[in-house]
Amino acid sequence: MATASDKELKKGNAELLILALLEDKARHGYEIGKLIAERSEGVLRFHVASLYPLLYRLERRGWVKGEWEPAGGRRRRFYRLTHTGRKTLVEQRSRWRAFSGAVNRIVEAGAAHRSAVNSTMEAQHA
Amino acid sequence: MPDWKKIVREKLGTLPLTNGRRDEVIEELAQQLESAYEEALAQGINEQEAMRRSLAQFKDWEKLRSEVFQSVEGARLPVWEQHGFFAPRRWPVWIALGLTLSLFLAPAFRQALAILPVPEADPTAWGPRIFPEKVLRRIEQSGDKQKYARSLAFVALHSPKEDDERAVHAAEKAIALDPSLTWIAAKICHATYSYPGYDPHPWIERFKAWDPQNGFPYLLEADANAHWWEPPWSKYSPTPSGLGAALAAEPRWRVPMEKAFAAPRLDLYEAQHFALDRQVLQEQGFDRPDMLIAGMWSQPMPDFNAMNFYVDFLLHDVGEKTEKSGRLEDTLAAYEGLARFGERLEDPSSSNFNLQLLSAKYRMDAYRKMAPLLRRQGRTQQSADVEASLASLQDPAKKRPYLLSYEVGERSGRIVQLSGLFLSLFFAATVAWLIALGTLRWKPHLSASLNRLASAFCLAPVLLLFSSLALFLGYYPYARHIGQYSSLQELHQGFMPFIMGLYDFAFFGSFREPWLTIMFWPTIWCAIVALVGASSLWLMRRRARPNQPDAA
Repeated sequence: MATASDKELKKGNAELLILALLEDKARHGYEIGKLIAERSEGVLRFHVASLYPLLYRLERRGWVKGEWEPAGGRRRRFYRLTHTGRKTLVEQRSRWRAFSGAVNRIVEAGAAHRSAVNSTMEAQHA
Repeated sequence: MPDWKKIVREKLGTLPLTNGRRDEVIEELAQQLESAYEEALAQGINEQEAMRRSLAQFKDWEKLRSEVFQSVEGARLPVWEQHGFFAPRRWPVWIALGLTLSLFLAPAFRQALAILPVPEADPTAWGPRIFPEKVLRRIEQSGDKQKYARSLAFVALHSPKEDDERAVHAAEKAIALDPSLTWIAAKICHATYSYPGYDPHPWIERFKAWDPQNGFPYLLEADANAHWWEPPWSKYSPTPSGLGAALAAEPRWRVPMEKAFAAPRLDLYEAQHFALDRQVLQEQGFDRPDMLIAGMWSQPMPDFNAMNFYVDFLLHDVGEKTEKSGRLEDTLAAYEGLARFGERLEDPSSSNFNLQLLSAKYRMDAYRKMAPLLRRQGRTQQSADVEASLASLQDPAKKRPYLLSYEVGERSGRIVQLSGLFLSLFFAATVAWLIALGTLRWKPHLSASLNRLASAFCLAPVLLLFSSLALFLGYYPYARHIGQYSSLQELHQGFMPFIMGLYDFAFFGSFREPWLTIMFWPTIWCAIVALVGASSLWLMRRRARPNQPDAA
């Protein structure tokens, strides 16, 4: 189940997730939903009811383009990045890296400090 | 295999997308359902459960429909295509509107709406904001045409100051038709009545001849003969030994005052005025207690200041001087005369607070002077009687029930005022909503802003219903047909505090109010309970739908 922190992480980055998944190849909606769950190892799961409106919004903005193509004996609507979408992905990814790097440095620095203190205490006890 | 397209088409309902986009969306969503269904079957889940799981992906189809439209078109779903609980395609909003309209069938609701204050309206004065001038003119015309004396008398009593001449003509016609209405002459021979060439004295003489036992015409005569606010009187100081004595030196003022104070009756015709207003308002279809109250403000009254000057003259110039000169019987006669006048001034059926105060003041002033004088003369029993009368006048307990009922009425008035304020706001919102709705029905894609407005205001009719109910219930205890008020006193005690509270909005929220001091914490507790309840509902909803589409 998604927690409050999951929500914070996902908030505002849903577009980045989808754009990133479409970077290498075109994908259809069902595949995108499954991939998000799989690659995040179940931590991030998209509610399907919000995935499709989001895809349509990205399409309206011109970041992705949807086209019907045959797949597995039926036709499916595949989404691929447009030139604008690719530029947007670069920008959003850069912002995300800066943000997550900053958070990481703070969180990991705290953990490293605690680990150092624990080691010192263990050494003293020994 | 279920027909997924058919299922999606049915659940999604009308989706007003253009250029075949609707079919594409349906097909894509159907594929999502089908893929999930096939995956469940592949996991060994039975068909029924697989179908349930697949459909569970989309719980709120109405929300999905709205979001899909907004994502594709970049605008809200047209208001006439929305299916939310308060959308115009659903019945609740129209039921609310119908219920609000049905409240108009209740006379109490109509009366409550009619009495709501309008800007610049003043319940303590008869004016065009309370009673439109054109209606007064219509009453005059119909009175003239039908030779109906009471309508004309009503016009005479309630004509605005700038129309004094019209009032005089209306009074002349009314009295000619029905001489029992001669008391309305009190209005047009009042000291404040004037227009070029107007002389009130013929009217005063006529009035005196019609009701010679009444002190009122004499008070009006004294007022007409000496305007104390004008030269030469204005140079005197309005102190006990100043203006009163100066005015008393003028026989044209003193003699009518003497007659007024000595007259066996003092009738200000409040009851007649009330009965006339009530009848004419009823006949004209104005079932308005507030109008009846405002109408009484145009009742002619003697000049209370002039009366006070004469009382000062009696107490200080007549009483004290005769006492010093040893003419104690004359002194007592002056004080007794004042006390009797005070008694006559107190009309139990009257609601005029000033009259009640003056009546009590005159009697107390007289009794305070009389008691020691009677004791000195050895008239112990009479002195004790006077002191007992004085003590009963000073008893504050007599006033308490009246003041308490005043607070209750004022509070109700403020609640109705607040409900009226909300009703006005929600009425405006409902009208805006209806206009937007009508326009969008005619041209669905006319304006995105209009559609946004119509969508946002869809709650307005429901809120209008609630505010109308609040107004109706708040006013209901005060709703009475004006014909049910048998006296002005009854009207004042039952309705006056309410109407004062209704207009006294500026003081709403004063911590002097017992309602706030008593209800503050219960209100806070109710708010906390409501907040906890709302939070619990929200949490339950969240749990029922994990992975809320917050990312989108």
